[in-house]
Amino acid sequence: MRLATPLLTFIRVSVYVFLLAPIVIVVLASLNAGNFLTFPPQGLSLRWFWTFLQNDVFIDAIIYSAVLALCATAVSLVIGTMAALYFVRHATREAEVVRVGMLLPLILPEILTAIALLFFFYEIGIGTEHQIALFTGHVLMTLPFVFLNVTTSLQGRDESVELAARTLGASRYTAFRRVTLPLIAPGLATGGIFAFIISFDTFGISFILKGAGSAPLPIQLYDYLRFNFTPEAAAVSTVSILLTLVLVTVSDLVFGRE
Amino acid sequence: MTEVSLLSLVKSYGKSIALKGISLSVGHGEFVSLLGPSGCGKSTTLKCIAGFEDISDGKILFDNTDISRRLPEQRDIGMVFQSYALFPHMTVAQNLAFGLEMRRVPKSEIATRVARAMEMVQLTPYAERFPKALSGGQQQRVALARALVIEPAILLLDEPLANLDAKLRDEMRGFIRDLQKRVGITTIYVTHDQGEAMTMSDRVVVMFDGEIAQAAPPEEVYNHPASERVARFVGNANILDLAVTGKDAAGSDLALPGGGALRVDSPAPWANGRLRVMARPEQIALTDPGAGHLGGEISKRYFSGGHVEYHVDTQCGPLVVLGPTTQTVAEGQTVALAFDPARLWPIPDPKGPAQ
Repeated sequence: MRLATPLLTFIRVSVYVFLLAPIVIVVLASLNAGNFLTFPPQGLSLRWFWTFLQNDVFIDAIIYSAVLALCATAVSLVIGTMAALYFVRHATREAEVVRVGMLLPLILPEILTAIALLFFFYEIGIGTEHQIALFTGHVLMTLPFVFLNVTTSLQGRDESVELAARTLGASRYTAFRRVTLPLIAPGLATGGIFAFIISFDTFGISFILKGAGSAPLPIQLYDYLRFNFTPEAAAVSTVSILLTLVLVTVSDLVFGRE
Repeated sequence: MTEVSLLSLVKSYGKSIALKGISLSVGHGEFVSLLGPSGCGKSTTLKCIAGFEDISDGKILFDNTDISRRLPEQRDIGMVFQSYALFPHMTVAQNLAFGLEMRRVPKSEIATRVARAMEMVQLTPYAERFPKALSGGQQQRVALARALVIEPAILLLDEPLANLDAKLRDEMRGFIRDLQKRVGITTIYVTHDQGEAMTMSDRVVVMFDGEIAQAAPPEEVYNHPASERVARFVGNANILDLAVTGKDAAGSDLALPGGGALRVDSPAPWANGRLRVMARPEQIALTDPGAGHLGGEISKRYFSGGHVEYHVDTQCGPLVVLGPTTQTVAEGQTVALAFDPARLWPIPDPKGPAQ
């Protein structure tokens, strides 16, 4: 035990360093006063944040990504919750098929899903116009996270609670809204946050399915870094890290008390 | 108050038939228990009445109105679940108010009715607590109050005491029974515990394999079971298979191995010229060897506080006898068993009476 404890501490610290170091480096790099994306930074400055705020391309990309993530999350929440309800409450022999089907986007390599969707949308004559393909891709990528989280919170709940509401005079819909929904709210919140972050972050799907015109943030960053190597890219990353942090913290404060 | 009638209720799941034509009528304010082993169809029957399961055939009537096709929320029932099924995100008062809100009862009236219901189950101080802060027995009482506050036509209880410990279970038996009589509501109670069914019900309905084996008052089911299976399921039963030596209009003479003779009131022997009679353990007395009707030897003796249980090896097979604690008989002792002919019950022949 005496020998094991320092070793354990070392492993523990290493894991945290491994997980957090990239984030710390990106944030530090964004405070770089120099002209190039280097580490350690050459002097501290917020000038690249200022540059970023005046760069419409990045601002538009962030807004675009946020709106896309919000819409994809909303649709995923509806479909994922319905699928989870069916899977937990009604599915019998087909349950395993439903589960694997819902998790396929997570199991398959992202690039395969993206290429399959690309072929599909060209085959039916829509292609990547109208952003339908991109949106569908994002819904698919986020669906497993909603499904998993809602399934977990439903499985911990006794169905007779819903039946009790029915005997007391609530319709199927009212019973869902007044009883089931509040009880699975934490699962919905977690699933929704996961979905938002995955959509905001995903690269492969967006890269292959994006239409002409505006592009999501990861694609815009990638394009930018191909020709520029300034700390502005790090500033953009820092802002999106902050957005994610705010989202997770707020949801934890609201739903984490369960 | 409402009368419930089940008319040839059939429920099948694909090829397996859960209910094979159940017919039962529950009177105004009557307390009826559905009793049987798991898988006998008692819970399915309750689910059909509640509307959680569609019936395959037959009808369910509440006061002559066919409600078979109505949704659960349109049936006007109060139900208590084995798991209590309280809404964990609502306080006790909110749990009770839920059904009234669904019925669009005015707010002021909700408050008074909820208060009255909480008083009825002695939970007034707990109005603002959440269910998880209550004990099992208290949660059970909240579930009862929530089912009754809407003043439903009928009350359904699905093994409501199964999750309570023994002492609390006994208390709740009396509590539910008293409350039901006070409110006067027609009640259907599902249980696999024969003691519960006996102590609480006006009538016990024993079910096996999706069919009703017997529906009668508790004393009748206990003393005069309709079949050997009912006899063995409800309480402890000694079944003696005896030869019929003579019969007249009033009864039959039976011969016991070892020379004893008994006379029981019986319509007819079974087709094989024999009769199977049931004696409950407490209806048999232990006497000195030579006396009584049947000789035997004590193989096991269990003291259980109020009485002593003896397992006796006889020529009619092993029998169970309950004796008073004032009588001391040791294991291995030779005894004789004395039956009370008036209380011996000849079990009806399942193939119908002999010609």
